[in-house]
Amino acid sequence: MQRAYRIGARRLTLAVQRAAADRFTVSVDGTPTEVEATLIDPSTVRIIVDGVAHTLPVVGVAGTYHVAIAGEAYVLTPEATGATAAEHSSVLAVPQIVAPMPGKVLQVLVQPGQQVAAGDGLLILEAMKMEHRIVAEAPATVHAVHVEAGQMVDAGTVLVELEYKDGTRS
Amino acid sequence: MFKRILIANRGEIAVRIARACRELGIAPLAVYSEADRVAPHVRVAERAACIGPASSRESYLNIDAILEAARTLGADAIHPGYGFLAENADFARAVGAGGLTFIGPSADAIAAMGDKTKARAIVSAAGVPVVPAVEDFAGGATALRTAAAQLGFPVLIKAAAGGGGKGMRIVRSAAELDDAFAAAGREAAAAFGDPRLYLERYFDRPRHIEVQILADRHNAIVHLGERECSIQRRYQKIIEESPAAILSPALRARLTAAAIAAARSVAYENAGTVEFLVTQAGEFFFLEMNTRLQVEHPVTEWVSGVDLVQAQIRVAAGEPLWLDQAALTPRGHAIECRIYAEDPAQQFLPSPGHIALLREPQGPGVRVDSGIAADYDVPVHYDPLLAKLSVWGADRETARQRLIVALREYAVLGMPTNIAFLIAVAEHPAFAAGDTHTHFISEHLQGWRPSSRHADLAAVAAAVHALLAAGTAPSAATPKAASPWQTLGGWRLGRGR
Repeated sequence: MQRAYRIGARRLTLAVQRAAADRFTVSVDGTPTEVEATLIDPSTVRIIVDGVAHTLPVVGVAGTYHVAIAGEAYVLTPEATGATAAEHSSVLAVPQIVAPMPGKVLQVLVQPGQQVAAGDGLLILEAMKMEHRIVAEAPATVHAVHVEAGQMVDAGTVLVELEYKDGTRS
Repeated sequence: MFKRILIANRGEIAVRIARACRELGIAPLAVYSEADRVAPHVRVAERAACIGPASSRESYLNIDAILEAARTLGADAIHPGYGFLAENADFARAVGAGGLTFIGPSADAIAAMGDKTKARAIVSAAGVPVVPAVEDFAGGATALRTAAAQLGFPVLIKAAAGGGGKGMRIVRSAAELDDAFAAAGREAAAAFGDPRLYLERYFDRPRHIEVQILADRHNAIVHLGERECSIQRRYQKIIEESPAAILSPALRARLTAAAIAAARSVAYENAGTVEFLVTQAGEFFFLEMNTRLQVEHPVTEWVSGVDLVQAQIRVAAGEPLWLDQAALTPRGHAIECRIYAEDPAQQFLPSPGHIALLREPQGPGVRVDSGIAADYDVPVHYDPLLAKLSVWGADRETARQRLIVALREYAVLGMPTNIAFLIAVAEHPAFAAGDTHTHFISEHLQGWRPSSRHADLAAVAAAVHALLAAGTAPSAATPKAASPWQTLGGWRLGRGR
């Protein structure tokens, strides 16, 4: 059995077998790697892969893993194992007009039914004292507006639904 | 000397000021909003008072509440830090009227330099070159268009009352003018309570070089050399260094002399910074004077050996300046970078969140000014600056290598930060060559995306960590038992159950 994760735009499968207390076989996308590993403290692992040692901060939050490697932060988000690759790509292909960060809706620039071109402003969000203009990525019709001016929104809140020219709806 | 100083700020700068207070035997007092009850700047204070709700308008910008806290906590001076009320002349005046010392320049100097249009006129009269600009839009949209045409596109819109990129817009054509002007006005009104704007000629690939000034109450003034802050995004500095990457001794002499002339033109006292734009042709123009401690002051502290916050406190207490200009020779090279909760791959949008893990770099010549802690929620209400990393080296290249190594050591997990992006800047050949200008990021790192070169290693680390951690901590005692590796009963990877 293996689990599916997403790192950035990449989806990968992961399986681990423990050969000894400090020896593992980890398969990433089916390619096995022999690993010697020690837990240094609850959020630090030292792993030796191909004779090279890495001491890495690792922390798990609600099933998601965060790993720091040489100043880069990698985030492994679990994916539902039942979904097929095709379903995944279709999910990722639909652009969503969601709040990229927590903030306050300053101004809504569009109304339902309105036609917008790529780059047209949909609304203005204020967060951390800066104004951010949320724009349409492609020509579309505004299907619904879910927020109003003055409203506080969390990251991920659906702000506006668009219907793209090819018929997909955000 | 003061007994108790109230620090009217938050985040890394409040922590840094508290340290200077302790070193001088002064008790640091904190103020905090309801969103900051357990914030690091509260933890390091001797006493602290809540001054209002999360919104900075009702807390860190609330003059009455801050003065009330100062009285209650028994402060005899107030340090404003940077941002918030640091450049608010009314605040400085109210502090004085309340019988307390404002650690900074006089209210008149703040007012003179705080109104950017007035400041230009004053320093220009003192012989300091200023950027061609238009500031009178009494004629509305028509006057605006005429002014822009007169300067020639591109023009820069700036807030009369502001700084730090707020209310600032670059406009490349007449078509963009109205929208940009309206948005900048709203942003300026929200940030500074003053929607007035002005237009400025915009230069291609200029460098941002500023001069640190320190003056006492007895008419003595020195400069502590320059800082170059050309690496910017959203018109905000992210990497600063001292000395400048490349600056001829002749130009340095003219810049520092101009800075002192600008400071003298408003009878300046305490620490301040005179900012200049230096063109590719080697011309320079006064941009503005920041009448406060600067975010990037650590690089000057590294190369000058002067503790600027201690110096601010000492001159505010009336001490005559103890520094001799001739003896102030910079030693080595320092580079600072700002660690932000923001996503460089998404137009540097702020990304506040929970800090699940924090590891700060250490070692010789490495300094971290931090306003965060592990297991801390970065509030959404304030600036996304988390910390500042600054390094010192015998020369620029040594400092640059040290910066890269320290950044690689830095781990902030739980939300996106700009650490990997800062490494990309520091490693860039143009940065290594000192070919720095304010359009550096758009020219060299447009469309930057985080690398995925270590994705496989990250996956391996996460997988073995899960099993190792499960083996050491009984699941009942695991505080965050949300890991699927631990919670699925006897489930183990790879056993083919």
